[in-house]
This record gives sequence, structure tokens and C-alpha cells, in this order.
Amino acid sequence: MSKGAVKQKEINKTIRAEDNWEPIGPTPMPEMSDLRRWDMRLMKTYKPFYAPFCDLCCFCTYGKCDLTEDKKGACGINISGQQGRWGLIFSLMGCAAHGAHGRHLIDYLIEKYGEDYKIDLGGQVDVEAPHMRTVMGLKPETLGDLRKGIEFVERGIIHGVSATHMGQEGSDLDFESKSLHIGMLDHVAMEVADIAQTIGFKFPTSKAETGLSGLGWGAVDKTKPVVTCVGHNAAVASVMIDHLMKAGIYDQVEVTGICCTAHDNIRYSDRAKVIGPLSKQVFFLKTGIADLIMSDEQCVRCDIPQLAKESGSALIATSDKISYGLDDVTHKEVDEIVRLIIEEGKQVLIRDVDKAGEVAAKVLPVVAKNRKKELVTKEKAQELAQACKKCELCDRVCPNFLNISTAVSDVKEGKFDMMTSVFARCVGCGKCEQECSKDVPIIKIMQAAASWDTYNIRVGRGPIQDVEIRKVGAPIVLGTIPGIIAIVGCSNFPEEIEEVAEIAEEFAKRKYIVVLSGCAAMAAGMKKDADGKTIYDKYKPDFDAGGVLNVGSCVANSHITGAAMKVANIFAKLPLRANYEVIADYILNRVGAVGLVWGSYSQKAFAIGAGCNRLGIPVVLGPHSAKYRKLYLSRKEEDDWTVMDGRKKELVNTEEPSPEHLLVVTESKERAIITLARLCIRKNDTAQGRQIKLNHYISLYKQYMGSLPDDLQNFVRNDKDIPIVYKKEVIEYLKTVGWKPKPLLTLPTFIGTYESNIPIDAVVK
Amino acid sequence: MSLPYYHVNVFTGIKSCKVMEDPQALAKIAKKAQRPLLVLGPQCGEVNLGGKQLLDYAIEIAKTLGAAICATANVKKKLLEAGVTPDSTYDAVEIINHLKDPAWKGVKKEGNHDFVMFLGIRPDLGNQGLSTLKHFAPHLKTATLCKYVFPNANFSLPNLKNDKWKEYLDNMVQGLKS
Ligand code: SF4
Ligand code: SF4
Ligand code: SF4
Repeated sequence: MSKGAVKQKEINKTIRAEDNWEPIGPTPMPEMSDLRRWDMRLMKTYKPFYAPFCDLCCFCTYGKCDLTEDKKGACGINISGQQGRWGLIFSLMGCAAHGAHGRHLIDYLIEKYGEDYKIDLGGQVDVEAPHMRTVMGLKPETLGDLRKGIEFVERGIIHGVSATHMGQEGSDLDFESKSLHIGMLDHVAMEVADIAQTIGFKFPTSKAETGLSGLGWGAVDKTKPVVTCVGHNAAVASVMIDHLMKAGIYDQVEVTGICCTAHDNIRYSDRAKVIGPLSKQVFFLKTGIADLIMSDEQCVRCDIPQLAKESGSALIATSDKISYGLDDVTHKEVDEIVRLIIEEGKQVLIRDVDKAGEVAAKVLPVVAKNRKKELVTKEKAQELAQACKKCELCDRVCPNFLNISTAVSDVKEGKFDMMTSVFARCVGCGKCEQECSKDVPIIKIMQAAASWDTYNIRVGRGPIQDVEIRKVGAPIVLGTIPGIIAIVGCSNFPEEIEEVAEIAEEFAKRKYIVVLSGCAAMAAGMKKDADGKTIYDKYKPDFDAGGVLNVGSCVANSHITGAAMKVANIFAKLPLRANYEVIADYILNRVGAVGLVWGSYSQKAFAIGAGCNRLGIPVVLGPHSAKYRKLYLSRKEEDDWTVMDGRKKELVNTEEPSPEHLLVVTESKERAIITLARLCIRKNDTAQGRQIKLNHYISLYKQYMGSLPDDLQNFVRNDKDIPIVYKKEVIEYLKTVGWKPKPLLTLPTFIGTYESNIPIDAVVK
Repeated sequence: MSLPYYHVNVFTGIKSCKVMEDPQALAKIAKKAQRPLLVLGPQCGEVNLGGKQLLDYAIEIAKTLGAAICATANVKKKLLEAGVTPDSTYDAVEIINHLKDPAWKGVKKEGNHDFVMFLGIRPDLGNQGLSTLKHFAPHLKTATLCKYVFPNANFSLPNLKNDKWKEYLDNMVQGLKS
């Protein structure tokens, strides 16, 4: 539906059209199909690739329907459409999780400070909200403006959900376009949430060199009362820390966290500690080290009440998104709730942020006094393992295919190496233990095999500074900084957790910019070199060549994609305002940024990926992500790599598959590294930039594959692109494959290669 | 329908593989292929069966059958070390993406493959890739040579322990030679 005058008026009012900070671009507050042509163009090159997880659809009572091969369901949908529908559903779930998180924070902060509370991200961040600016056309100034962002996202989500209903959308491509749209909204939602918490809780901003915080279960002082916050919402924990300070006992307790609340806690207070990523949730909670568990939202296990009971930890649930069937005591007085927890051992739900924080601070020292914490020793572990009959049932349910039965049998004989290796690869699902008919407490046994070392993590710094973008904009676009590698997402890792640090370091030492967030940022700190240093000790935290920086929790991912937008805006001077298509086109064709979600499992990670893809940022996934059932792949030899030369306004067949894929799964660390290096190549690279990128690509390929890349001919445009160190062998190789020089162009763009309202001049500045 | 060894990740729907208890029978099917392809995953370089590398079985099968080799992940390095240059190097999802196009020229540019065997890919990734081919590549048949049942393949080995797997592969090689 084209926008009528009433709707246009509403949009103008929302984005304050009269403010003339930038001209309003073609798509202010886009609706579901306003950027559809961009999506279709993307999918012309990067076609959806489906790997159905199941042959059936069981969405409605017309079915179940068998969709195998070319069969259609009773409603007419086919297997591709059904996979597309799943993709849209995943995007919606992820976007809704971030959106509702943002909504909660904003409502809470508006109650506290009022809707006119100003957004101030410090002197180094003028482009405060690149996503809101680019997608909506609004330059937010207050908490009230941030609420407009969430309202915009909420509206999109309703439309998206409606399309998943039986008998609505049927085309896989249209499901994909909607999924990409929701992914784009997800980045708006994340941006809103992170800006809100940064200004509301006074997190560090406009500062690159944030401090280092303690990381790992070994970093926790077990002799003190320990509270562990699990989830993603900083509100309650920050109030609790305030109360602990007020009571003068903050230095006598340990505030710890698992998953993203932990990130936000250390942004709030550098005394807080990070236990680790989601994959260590069950393991840690079973140790009983936490005297008090505070759950909030997202990526929190559904069985925390049972886990808490088992370990004798107190539990306060604080979100109405995860109420666990507990008694809602929100209406009761603080002292009464404290009594219920301490005297009656009750697990409670408190939906009021301030009350929950106050109760937690009061309860913590008391519950801790009555508890004894004993970790499983090697002797105890050996005793616990005796019941094992090596039936291998545990092996058969392990999603990481680990040889648990042998590890347990070894422990029986007092040998722990195998269990240590299982623990390093364990994604913490708890299935092995559940399956064991002999009730061997496998995860408890891991306590005796795990390392109890202390690591560190760089405190999340929020947005990238404008001044940093000014400095690196040119080298990124010219290619002399070979790329931005964003290592983000969850901890469903295929192999040892240490692989994350290894991948990050491989690129940091080659002077890529390495940006981390979420569980991946925690995992990256969990490896020490021979001198006992983590990558956070070794590499500077700047958004610059060779920097390793942590932006913060999942919602801070918006700052990574936001940085790519800022390159287009601050360096290339393209207006952001309601100008999504132009900015995405710029990023796809000219900014060598690639995401890696090595342990992706959640729907949020899926939505984040969709938002990256629509914005022209390719994403590499680990093997577990094949279960997302959808990728966007090109076929380098067969596909058409024609783009427009924006300056000459001529179509050019570049024959260059760059970037080759938008969303791809790789099986091994080595393959992921090679793929990341390849996906940083852009048509815009200068000869000098291309030489640098190919130098890394060739050297990595040789290191991991033992030869020159067999697709090298695709990326050498002329002999000036060939890295000097490899010149001779590359020239010889190119001769053997019949390589010919390729056309050069100065301003590659998709605009002009498909029907669009955007004039080609819009990409030339 | 045969239950897969792994009870997570690899459950499927209603169209399931034929479990080939008899290695000679599988060899016979493979021999009928016009343009067979063997897709190798990283476990080929990691698994040792009674003194013989899985990779050596892979090379022997490919040579005996005249099958083209596609090296996924980082297998290329191991193959080169063993003196074999693979016919192509893709990651698992990339080769599958090509295979689903009936008009694809194949790794040897002689036409798409009609029979594709997989060995050494992670079971979850492997089974997902096989699902793609089950749904979108009716023009080819797939077989897995790993030691577990892969429901999304056309032909699969039964769930086997390493010693029986070795025996299976030995017999299969025998069958291919005869
Ligand atoms: S939504 Fe369609 S395919 Fe799914 S069960 Fe209903 S009729 Fe069958
Ligand atoms: S399921 Fe239990 S008894 Fe069986 S091998 Fe595993 S730990 Fe041992
Ligand atoms: S808890 Fe760890 S070892 Fe056990 S099944 Fe899950 S991933 Fe495997």
C-alpha cells in the first residue's frame, strides 16, 4: 500500500521532519515491503539455500503435511516456503526478545527520569543512533524518542507475525524479504536498548580504554556471599549493586553473571565479575557457588528453579517473561519477601525492578551464611563415576558428539584428561546426565576436570567513537585495513571454547579490526598464552588496525553494524537519514566487514544475522547453525557479478565473487578463518588494499590448506593486485588456469542493476 | 525406518534412508554410477581405524571407483600431504549448493554427478546437507560412508563400532575391486 497523506503526516510528526539535520531520504519508517526490491536484488546473487530440519509442517489442523521433495501442504505451501516461514519466525522471535527488552528498559527509565531525559553518549559520539537515523529518519534526542523506535519495531513485528499465519505468505523469497526486514528492525531494537541502558545506568561511553574485569568461574571468591545474575537485563542488577553499596557491604560480596547481564554488570561496576557464556550455565549453577540466583530474561534455562533447589541456592525471578510458575510477590513489602526467602526458603517472582534489587541486596548476606560450598574433588568425582556401566546412552544424546562414556570410565580409574577435553567442548545442555540410567552426575564430575583459572575480559565500551571512524574510514574502504571481523553471538561452539580466542587472535595479529560482543567476547578471554595473557591483555582496545575490542552485550551488536553505517556517513559523507538502501549498498560493496557467529544457537542470533545481511554484511556461522536451515549462498563460477560503475554509470561484469556469500556455514575453525579473510574482499579495494587482503588470504590458505587458494584467479583483477611476496608463484598459477585481467571500476554499486527509485548519483559523493 | 545413532540433531521426517547392511551391495550400487563424487570432511584426517587412516580408505575408494574428490573444511591439506590433489575444494554447504543444480557441470566439468558419497563430515551438518539434497536434488542419489545411520541419505551404513566400520570399509573396497 502506498502511503497516504494521513500516514505521511504521522511519519513526519514522529521523525520531526522539520528538523533539517539531513535531507529526508526515500524510506522514512519503512513498512514491510518498502525495501523489498533491495532484498530481491540481494537474493538474485545470494540465493536462499535451504536444509530442512524436518520434512513435515505441523502448523495447523489441516496437517501434518508431508512436504518432501515437490509435495505441497494442504494449504499449498511447499518445502521452500515452509523453510522461509521458519526463517521469518526465527527473526521475529529474536527481534521480539530484543524489542521487549528495550521496551522494558525504556518504560522503567521513563518512569524514573521522564521522557525528556536527554541522550548524551559523551563528547566522542555525535552520530548517536545510526540505525534509528538510517532506518527511521529520526535523530533521537530523548528517552521519549527511543520509545518511538521501539513502537516502530513493535508495529513491524505484528505485521511479520501475521504473515506466518497459515494461508498468508507462501513464497520463500517473500518470507525471506520479511525476515530481512525484521532483522533490520532487530538492530533498531538493540540500538534503542543499549542507548537506553547506557544513559540510564551511566555505562562507559566515548571511551575506548575501558578496564578489565575478572572472568571465569575460577575468578569468583567462594568465601564471600555470591549472587549470580543470569540473562540479559541490567536493570535489577544495577539497583541491587546500589543497595549493596548503600549498605556498605559491596566489597564483602561477589556480584557475578552469566550471559549478557554479566556484560552489563561490569559496565556498571568494575568489581562485578563474569562467570562465562551460556554454555557454562548448568555447570556453574550445579557447583552451588551462587548463594543467590537472579534470573531476568533471554537465554536463561527453563529449569533454573530445579537447579537452584538442587544446589541450595536462593532464587529470585525478576522478569514476567520468565515467571517459572513461582508466586508473584511483587505486591508484598520488602521485609516480608525477605522473610519468605530466608525463613521459608521460597523461590519468588518480583516484577518490580527496584523492589527486586533491594530484596536481593538484603537476602544475599543472610542466605550465604547458612550455606556450605564444597566443590567436587578428584576423589569424590572418581567415587561418583563408579556407577557408570559404559552403556553409551550419554554419547547418543550429546549435540556435540562428545565421547562422554569414555571420559566417565576414565574418571572411574582416576584419569581426568578425557573429561577435561569433554568439558572444553561441552555446550552445557545437560542431556547426557538426564539420559544416564545410572544417575551418574556427569556435569558435577566435570568440576574436578575443569580449569579453575582466572581470566579477564575488556569491559564493553558501547558505541564506536566518531573520531575512530574518521581515522579508519579511508583505510577500510581502500582496503589497507584488511577488514573488520565481528565475532559475536552465543556459545554453541563446535569444538573447544578456546577456538574463539584463536580465531580472534589470528586476525588481530594481521591487523584486522576485531570487534567482539556477547558470549563470544567472554569466550575470547578464556585462553591464556605462555605468558599468562589473554587477547584483552595483548591487544589495544581501539577500533583500529590490530585492535581487539568488546562492545558489550548482545544489544551492543547494534554498535558494530552502526560502525559500518558511520563509515558511510562520516567518512563517505552519505546522508543516513531514511536512506537505508544507499547505506546498505555502500556497505555491501565497499566496507570489508564480516561477522562470525561461531556458536550461534538462538533466534536472536538469527535475527542479528538477518539484520547484518540486509545491511550488506556477510556472516559466517559455525556448523551447529546448519540447523537454522537457511543460508544465502552464491555460486561463484556460475553467478553474474555485474555491478554498476557509479561514476561512469556503466554496467561492468566484474567476474569477481566479492563478497562471495551473505550467510554461510563452515565446518572447522580453519575453514572459518579462510572464509572470513575471503569475505573481506570488496570490489572497491585499491590495488594496494587488494594486495594486502590477498596477502592474508594466500598466507592463511597456505597455512591451513597447504596450497595457493584455488579461487585466487577470481580476486586478481590485474597484476598490481598480486602481493609481492607471492608474485612468482601466483603468476605461474594464474597462467595454468588461463587467468585474464578483469575490468576495473572505481565505484561499485548495485544501484542501477535493478528497478529502484534511487538515482545512481545518490551513491556518489 | 532405522533410528540414527545420535538421538539429537539428526532425527528426520518420513522419507528415510535405506540402511545397507551388506557392503558388497553398496559397492555394487556405487559401481553403477556414471559420475560418482566423494565428498570428504575433516574427520577423514582425524580418525584412525586399526592403523589405517580414514583418509586412506577415502583415497582407495575414490581411486578404485574413479570417483572425483571434493575436499571440504581443511581436508585439502591432508590430501596434499598424502600426495593426492582433490578435484575440488568447497565447504560442505557450497558443494551441496552446486549439487542441487541438475545443470551444474560437476567438479570435473563433465556434468553433474549422479551418485555422491559423503565421508567424515560432522553428523549434524552432514545430515542437514543431505536434507537439502533429499528435497532439492531428486536427480542424484546420496550415500554416507560414516559409521552411523544418516536418515536423509538415500543409502547409509548401519550404526557401527569402529572395528565393524573398518570391516565394512574393507569389504566395500573389496566389492569395488571385484
Ligand atoms: S500450514 Fe499448510 S502445510 Fe502446514 S499443516 Fe497447515 S495446511 Fe499443512
Ligand atoms: S549414560 Fe551413564 S552409565 Fe551410560 S555410559 Fe554414560 S555415564 Fe555411563
Ligand atoms: S552437557 Fe555437554 S557433554 Fe553433556 S550432552 Fe550436553 S554438550 Fe554433551
